[in-house]
Amino acid sequence: MKCFSRYLPYIFRPPSVLFSSSCHTEADIISTVEFNSTGELLATGDKGGRVVVFQREQESKNQPHRRGEYNVYSTFQSHEPEFDYLKSLEIEEKINKIRWLPQQNAAYFLLSTNDKTVKLWKISERDKRPEGYNLKDEDGRIRDPATITTLRVPVVRPMDLMVEATPRRVFSNAHTYHINSISVNSDYETFMSTDDLRINLWNLEITNRSFNIVDIKPANMEELTEVITAAEFHPHQCNTFVYSSSKGSIRLCDMRASALCDNHSKFFEEPEDPSNRSFFSEIISSISDVKFSHSGRYLMTRDYLTVKVWDLNMESQPLETYQVHDYLRSKLCSLYENDCIFDKFECVWNGSDSVIMTGSYNNFFRMFDRNTKRDVTLEASRENSKPRAILKPRKVCVGGKRRKDEISVDSLDFSKKILHTAWHPYENIIAVAATNNLYIFQDKVN
Amino acid sequence: MEYKVEAHRIMSISLGKIYNSRVQRGGIKLHKNLLVSLVLRSARQVYLSDYYSGACLNAAQSEREANEWDITDSEREKFPSSTTECDRVESPEEPQQTERPEKEHEHRENDDDLKSDQVDCTSTLQQEQNQNSLDSVANVSSETPPETIKEPKESPSESAVAERDSTPEANGESHQPPKTHVCSNRKRSAEETESGDSPQKRIKVASSDAEGDEEAEEMDTSNVSNLITIFGSSFSGLLSKDGAKPESETEDSGQICCDQMLKNLNPWSTAIVAF
Repeated sequence: MKCFSRYLPYIFRPPSVLFSSSCHTEADIISTVEFNSTGELLATGDKGGRVVVFQREQESKNQPHRRGEYNVYSTFQSHEPEFDYLKSLEIEEKINKIRWLPQQNAAYFLLSTNDKTVKLWKISERDKRPEGYNLKDEDGRIRDPATITTLRVPVVRPMDLMVEATPRRVFSNAHTYHINSISVNSDYETFMSTDDLRINLWNLEITNRSFNIVDIKPANMEELTEVITAAEFHPHQCNTFVYSSSKGSIRLCDMRASALCDNHSKFFEEPEDPSNRSFFSEIISSISDVKFSHSGRYLMTRDYLTVKVWDLNMESQPLETYQVHDYLRSKLCSLYENDCIFDKFECVWNGSDSVIMTGSYNNFFRMFDRNTKRDVTLEASRENSKPRAILKPRKVCVGGKRRKDEISVDSLDFSKKILHTAWHPYENIIAVAATNNLYIFQDKVN
Repeated sequence: MEYKVEAHRIMSISLGKIYNSRVQRGGIKLHKNLLVSLVLRSARQVYLSDYYSGACLNAAQSEREANEWDITDSEREKFPSSTTECDRVESPEEPQQTERPEKEHEHRENDDDLKSDQVDCTSTLQQEQNQNSLDSVANVSSETPPETIKEPKESPSESAVAERDSTPEANGESHQPPKTHVCSNRKRSAEETESGDSPQKRIKVASSDAEGDEEAEEMDTSNVSNLITIFGSSFSGLLSKDGAKPESETEDSGQICCDQMLKNLNPWSTAIVAF
């Protein structure tokens, strides 16, 4: 079991700033990052509806220093902007979430979703092709039958590797509101898609039918007080899932109990601290992300200022609460004005569930070791990322005397936010999305 | 009084966000608008708490106050917003009912301020009546609301929301109670009739284009108070353009409101009709 000091600082090779552009457009902003179940592939989705998949290089004796670098494997346009004619609304092509399916054959499958439609993509390699057809020549043109005098059997010959992505299923027309999450079930047959008020269960093979399993829409929309913000299936129990709400509560549901899981099996909520009440208490208690631990025993939730770890067996309060950037508590009004208070940060577990990570502003991201209770703030930026450099811990100075290398709260750049991060399922490799740049850091253990 | 300024500022920011959400790409985000409306509601309650008790004092009718208490409580039951900034400002954590006597008591000591507020109200009311010129819905966008609509004007009208039984009284506030009285009726009757109806109604995510145009013209803070009276104290002010039924109902009630308000606030009558 590594002690936390081995994690920090992270040592990494050239910071693999893939997927960046000098003058980026809004379409290049990364909106989701996800490793597949083996960690071999890393997928990113952006606001322009594109998905870029990176693949980890295999180790080779020739170039040992290039072990484990991620290179672009496939790029495809997953979603296009659409127009809903009935409501006169444009449907954004931004990819909200990507989830990988477990690998069952040579091809890779992932689900990607925008606000309204989920698509299943198959990414497959082609490195051979048949040559020597009788009826068409090598360019594909049909041959004049009169010129064919002999028959031959086409032969399969190697070709340059080509990676192609094809949409295999399109799951559409099931959501009135904006989809915020998708989650693949551990049975590998079903998945769920979640919007603000409803959760639908799909079979991966069937696109024209989905089952509604949660519906919190009130009969009178005037009585609407909370919306669903995220949902996830339990990693091992295919009947269990959780969903989080804008009121800061999490509900665990069991699909065996009834077809419609409006009645929860467990309800996780922490009583509000009355001393912290303000105009914005409701906003900052809204949960932006919920993730099961790999073990399935714990739950992690992210609200605006904190990350909380819950034990599934204890509903009354979280097991652990970590302050991500509590110095922002006094600045909530200005964060409300510039809309930053609505930012939806995600959170991730490491492979062993001992460290949790989440993003912050100024391109900072934070890691918390649950065992040693130590935490670190790191920065994803080009300036600090020299080849073979060590990521230096950063510190935000709250008040009083600012030490050298510290950053004061007022000089934080709120336009540089890290909302999406991912952690390799087994190794200490993290992917951090900073606006339009993707940083991949590895903990090189020697 | 600083919290009042703060509350007003937050209200105008919130309304700006709600407006902007209608024109942004991708449609209206329900979650964000829900949060913004919660903030708006909290800020409004803080903002009104001061004027509310102030107007009570000047009315100087204890039975009316008793009515207000009842209605305020029932209003709160209907709109379960959590405890507001008032709590923090007034510091002890108590139910809303007991807070009101405290604030009221505080304001009893500031009679002069309140009287001057009242005078402001009536004077601005006069000015609005003088500027009464608009007739048709289509002309809304060309009208800018009178700049003289000031903050104090909102107070008697908002307090009048609760004064159900005081319509024939209060000559000094003769125009406002009927308007908001009807508005509150509209809101309540709408709630009663629409419970159990098609859930697509009243989705606060969308609203008519006309309303959007009007708000485009009228986003300066002097109009915030009027937008609030229109919105009432819940999402009922933000209605969906989907569904014929809600539109017909609101048009009826909108007409009632419209007639009442036409004498007072012409640009806003069109907003209500548009609902």
